[in-house]
Amino acid sequence: MQRSVIRWPGLMVFVGIIVLLTAFSWLFLDNLLRWGMERTLGRLNGAEVNIAKVEHHWVPLGLKVSGVQITDPAQPLQNRLVVGELEANIEADQLLLGRVVIDQMTAAGIRIAQPRQSEGEVYAPVSEQASDLAGAGWEQLNATLPSVEEIVAKVGLQTDTVVSEAKQKLEAQKTAFNEAKQALPSKEKIQQYQEKIKAITSGKISGAEDLAKRKQALDDLKAEIKQDKQAVKTFKEEVGNSKDLLQQQLAAVKNAPGNDIDRIKQFFNLDGSGLGNITGLLFGDQAQQWSQYVLLAYEQVAPMMARSGNDDSVKPVRGEGQWISFVDEDAKPEFLIKKAKTEIQLGATTVDVDWQNITHQHQLLGQPTTYQARADNNGLWDSFNLNGEIALTDMGFDSRQQWQLRGAQLQQLTLSQSDKLSAVISSARLNSDGDVNVRNSELGGSAGMRFSDMVMQADGSSQLTKTIAGALQKLERLDIRTKLSGNLTNPSLQLQSDLDQQLGQLMSGALSAQSEGKLADIKAKLSEQIAPVVGDYQGVLDTIGGSEETADNLDQQLEELLKAKVEDNLKDLLKGKLFGN
Amino acid sequence: MLTLIAKLLRALNSETSPWALAMAVVLGMIMGLTPLWRVHNVIILLAALLFRINLTAFLLSFAVFSGLAYLFDPLFHDVGLAVLEAPSWQGIYQAIYQTAIGRLTQFYHTITMGSVICSLLFAPILAVVTYFIVVNYRRRIQAWFNKLRVVRAIQASRIWQIYTGLRG
Repeated sequence: MQRSVIRWPGLMVFVGIIVLLTAFSWLFLDNLLRWGMERTLGRLNGAEVNIAKVEHHWVPLGLKVSGVQITDPAQPLQNRLVVGELEANIEADQLLLGRVVIDQMTAAGIRIAQPRQSEGEVYAPVSEQASDLAGAGWEQLNATLPSVEEIVAKVGLQTDTVVSEAKQKLEAQKTAFNEAKQALPSKEKIQQYQEKIKAITSGKISGAEDLAKRKQALDDLKAEIKQDKQAVKTFKEEVGNSKDLLQQQLAAVKNAPGNDIDRIKQFFNLDGSGLGNITGLLFGDQAQQWSQYVLLAYEQVAPMMARSGNDDSVKPVRGEGQWISFVDEDAKPEFLIKKAKTEIQLGATTVDVDWQNITHQHQLLGQPTTYQARADNNGLWDSFNLNGEIALTDMGFDSRQQWQLRGAQLQQLTLSQSDKLSAVISSARLNSDGDVNVRNSELGGSAGMRFSDMVMQADGSSQLTKTIAGALQKLERLDIRTKLSGNLTNPSLQLQSDLDQQLGQLMSGALSAQSEGKLADIKAKLSEQIAPVVGDYQGVLDTIGGSEETADNLDQQLEELLKAKVEDNLKDLLKGKLFGN
Repeated sequence: MLTLIAKLLRALNSETSPWALAMAVVLGMIMGLTPLWRVHNVIILLAALLFRINLTAFLLSFAVFSGLAYLFDPLFHDVGLAVLEAPSWQGIYQAIYQTAIGRLTQFYHTITMGSVICSLLFAPILAVVTYFIVVNYRRRIQAWFNKLRVVRAIQASRIWQIYTGLRG
């Protein structure tokens, strides 16, 4: 008999196998999900991801995931992120179409940078972060504080030169003064003038001829007197100029020691170039740690988004093939968390962050991923606001983020524990605001940190660091500007502040105080150097003062002489002739 | 495994249709070369169980081709990638991708697509070759084969005892 082509018992076996497979999947679904999530998240993260427990529920369709540890690829002994508990409701109809759409997700107990119990496996090693602050340490601070002697040698005191120049100028002035003085008419000459005038103007005029002779003689004499008067005028001008010049030079000489002391003190005014970037050395590590909080969204989410969105970065595992996406421009994203609430633990503080539209396909969604973090009056700060948006485009990342932190209370914040310098902020108040943006995966932006009411404890082991420590303890306020740059996965942080300037001023004061005795000695020596010159100058100036009086007298006498006339006698003579007297 | 080989020998020496054996080998080949956890393999399994084909040949073929599949995965990936990236087919792929059935088939996976295409292209060849071998084995080789010293030695071995045990 011809047997039928259909083997009906085979159908029963098939049904049995399917039932067994379904039952197996049902029983082990949570483990299968956990395994799949660890694998997928691990590949996106670039390092091992561990999940303690996954539970599912069918109505409504959802998942509860506990104990998520995401290894930091750069530090495999550390988790970049730990999530205590995560719960999500998934849209079942979209899941049938291969889309994971989550209406609401809540994640609690999120901590960053937590140690791992064992080293996590790294799938995609990251290059070592090249920070502008890294590598610089107190040990490399080569600046040394100069002694007063070194500074004196370096400054090159100017008092000697000033004194030497003053002596030369004084001699020149003396010569010029003496030459002008020699041109003055003597007392005898004045007396001669008086006698001659008397002779010309007195006595009886015998006639017109005599009158003419007398007049001529007087005119000749006056011409001579005028020459002497001109000499007196020249002398007076010379005396005036000499006096001004000598007074200026005397002032320069007197000021020379003081100027030299000031120049020595100026050498104590240490600037940033001399000290190196103290701000970077002191606040570098702390600022980098804080920047992790600021860049939390980027550092945690961005690399995953980048990997999920970039086929090149997620290389297909050999033998596993590649999943090709055929979403068209109008399609919905294949992965979307519409709303998420995350509770991030920062020390003892919980920061709530609200997220909207978490996806790696922002172009399909037409909206960026947005987030807002807020935590007010929590004992650590007065207010904290952070908001931003992230979008993954064809060009790379496009994002913006702003924050404002007001009245953060810092307590026992260790800045440096180097052998060279230990510095701790015992207490301070911090205000900060800033913005960060990313264009084509390149970071940009700046942030300000304003410390006030600072109380610092610092100690140094070398002369320099001791002085710095002393200056740090006097700091009451500090403004730091940070500049962010570099690639998204390898950010660079640069710090600038008025700390170096403040330190310079404070250290200058400290150094000046230490050197006060030596400076007084130097000033005394310099004053001794100028004393004889000052005496000479004073003597010359006194002489000039006396000469001025003499010149005035001479000038007055000559002026009187020039007033003499012979016309009166001529009138008398003419009257007698005309009226017969 | 010994049992399976014994059963295969029995099938070869039995009156089982050569085409039933050839189809079994082909279905086992498709299931072996393509990734196991795919919807099309459920259909293959249903066909293997529902239609009266030789299950021994099916299981052996599946085992052998599963082992060979790892060697061919790079080839399947390349073929699948080339087919899935063919510009003129993008519209069709997009349309299928939007459907639940399309997603369920996981056609957009390069190795799945490549292995299905390769195994389907290879299926007629394997069917004909298998049929040819079975027919010629029974016609020419079986009698000669049984006279070989090696075969006689085998017949004295445990495998033959199993074989005969099954027969009995």
